[in-house]
Amino acid sequence: MSAEFIWQLPARGDGRYGDAAVRRRGERSTPEPSPLGPGLSDPRGVRFNYFDHLHQIARAAELSGFDGVQIQHDPEGDESWIIAGYLVRGTRRLKLVTEFEASWGSSVYAAKNAATLQRYSRGRLAWHLQAGAASKQRQKNADPVPDEGVLPRIGEFLQVARGVLSEAPFSFQGRFFAVQNGGFKDGLDHQPVPQVYLSGTSRAALELAAQYADVHVLPPRPLVELRQTIAALERLAGSLKRSLRYGLRLDLLARETDGEALLDARRLRGQIVGSSATATIEGPGLWNGPLSTRTGAEAALIGSYGRVAEKLSEYQEAGISNFVLGAIPHLEEAYRIGAHVLPLLRQRHRPASTTSSIELGGRS
Amino acid sequence: MSIDIFWRIPTHGEPASHRSRTPNRWDLFPGYEGQGRDEVPAGYSYIDYLAEVAHAAEIAGFQGGLIPSFPMTDEPWAISSVLARETRTFRFMIPFQPGFLNPIVAARMTASLQRATGGRALYNVITGGGGPQQLWWGDSVAHDDRYTRTTEFLDVVRGVWRGGPFSYQGKFYQVEEAGLPDPLSKEDFPEIYFSGSSDAALASASKHADFYLTWLEPFAQLRDKFARVREKTTALGRPIKCAVRVDIVARPTEEEAWDEIRRGFDSLDQETVARFSGGPEAGSESVGARRQASNRPETIASYRDLIVEPNVWSGFALLRGGQTQGIVGSYEQVAERLDQLVELGTDAFILASTPHLEEAYRVGEEVLPLIKGRQSLGLRAVG
Repeated sequence: MSAEFIWQLPARGDGRYGDAAVRRRGERSTPEPSPLGPGLSDPRGVRFNYFDHLHQIARAAELSGFDGVQIQHDPEGDESWIIAGYLVRGTRRLKLVTEFEASWGSSVYAAKNAATLQRYSRGRLAWHLQAGAASKQRQKNADPVPDEGVLPRIGEFLQVARGVLSEAPFSFQGRFFAVQNGGFKDGLDHQPVPQVYLSGTSRAALELAAQYADVHVLPPRPLVELRQTIAALERLAGSLKRSLRYGLRLDLLARETDGEALLDARRLRGQIVGSSATATIEGPGLWNGPLSTRTGAEAALIGSYGRVAEKLSEYQEAGISNFVLGAIPHLEEAYRIGAHVLPLLRQRHRPASTTSSIELGGRS
Repeated sequence: MSIDIFWRIPTHGEPASHRSRTPNRWDLFPGYEGQGRDEVPAGYSYIDYLAEVAHAAEIAGFQGGLIPSFPMTDEPWAISSVLARETRTFRFMIPFQPGFLNPIVAARMTASLQRATGGRALYNVITGGGGPQQLWWGDSVAHDDRYTRTTEFLDVVRGVWRGGPFSYQGKFYQVEEAGLPDPLSKEDFPEIYFSGSSDAALASASKHADFYLTWLEPFAQLRDKFARVREKTTALGRPIKCAVRVDIVARPTEEEAWDEIRRGFDSLDQETVARFSGGPEAGSESVGARRQASNRPETIASYRDLIVEPNVWSGFALLRGGQTQGIVGSYEQVAERLDQLVELGTDAFILASTPHLEEAYRVGEEVLPLIKGRQSLGLRAVG
């Protein structure tokens, strides 16, 4: 089974520094003085904003060989459905994995949004349903569903979306959603149901994934633990006669040498916690903490290209086939990882029979 | 004040002319799957055509366009974001029903779309015709309650827009110290075109809408309606403007324009025509749809039976779905009728004609320059 590499698209902003102190790239608003200072002319005015940069990150991921982008859901950032639509025309083969919550609204409407994006991206849309914040925070934002209802709502949401996309008439009466004689007729019903990504490690999250996920994305944990989780999911899904793939959400800090990687890792870490605390990153390998306040990953893989590829390969052997990767700044790092790390992994795992097509520019 | 004129994006398919109901342009309209699909050039899809219509509209001088949203058509937020980067001045009028989205999410979606388009998003808020249709969408809230929900929804979107903190205790939505994040909170709030003819609708429109949007109705009826809208909204301290959606067939001569209608009408089967004279769609709670149906004759023998006043034909719904009344005539006549609508209180139009691409240029080049707009009224007021 070939691995899939997804690059993260940061919805809230991107920059060079670990503490995310730098403004959103491209973003300028009218009263702000030009960063270039009075001695220089600045031709940009307010023509650009962060959307222009997001577009470039997606193009970077596409040009450097990633299979898709994960459009981050961040309540403090731009909205993920809009970003997904915005990227449809400028990308050709990237999978657009769009994170959002089942609290967005009607699942029928979400399915309709998906049908349009599928039509015009030629089936490249995927959904990553997130649980969202704890109930107290969600209630403040007009989402009254209690915590125990969050995962069941995702289940209903997916059931209804799948229903209206694939059959008519479709009726459903649940705790959160109801449809009567629904279902897309005519041409919208030909659109593929978006691939479903889920995440979470609780028993309830795993049960939900077994029932609905195409890909279940796990946090970076020791290989032993990952193997156990995957085995548990295999059993749950197997009892439902389903199979799924397993993903991993991880940040990378890869450089030509371990030394350079370590230096940059400590520099980024220092920008978050202050330079005195950076000694906690003892050496290359998996660092169990964020290197940037933006990306949301629990851990980062630090080291030379070879080392990072080696580690990713170990995850692959443990059963991970879908890597959701990120690194700041996302544009530059997409090119770096695409040029130096992905080829090592693809080489390692290419099946013998397809060797020639890879050399001719094909993909494993 | 000058008049805003919008066009329409044919999400509901594109026949070659008003003479046919069958979409033939790349044929990617869902209802007509299959016919001619093979002729779509490799790598293209219907969005490529929709993009061309949007380009034509912006080049021809329209503000932008309405992106109609029906159960069988594409989703307008998606269309807008997909076309954001390749249009320059085209404003995306997004029809949507508040019940479909969480208001905080909708605010963030809107602000992001404003950012993606450089401030070119606007709303056409629809509250829903009710009946079986509403349950298709998964919405079971009753008619008048839906307007309460619409009002509350817009209260919340507006409330969080500048960043908050905004708190709200409504029947449908409860919000506590919520607000849009910076820099989303710096965007302009979208203009709101509001559809709905009932009293409950007008009460809601008075509070939030910039434009009260109606289909074309007999001119005298429209004058009364606009007077009522203005009276009611002025009484509430917030007078709103009025806008009309109208299909048009404009040709160099009146004869040619009616000939187009005649050919379209003659291509219909008797059953369709008989059903049309019967009344509105069963089960609809829409007051607007009932008002439109009440203007129809009981038997229709010729397209002429549907001429309700000079240059106004009430059979457009037969030629393509949607509104019934439209304007038919020479370029000059169409412009004159539009000016009469301005005179009786119209501040904005959403025009449309089939095929939308070529007709955008025709109307932009031949009709729009003839419209006097407020100019003539201003002179009259002074004189």
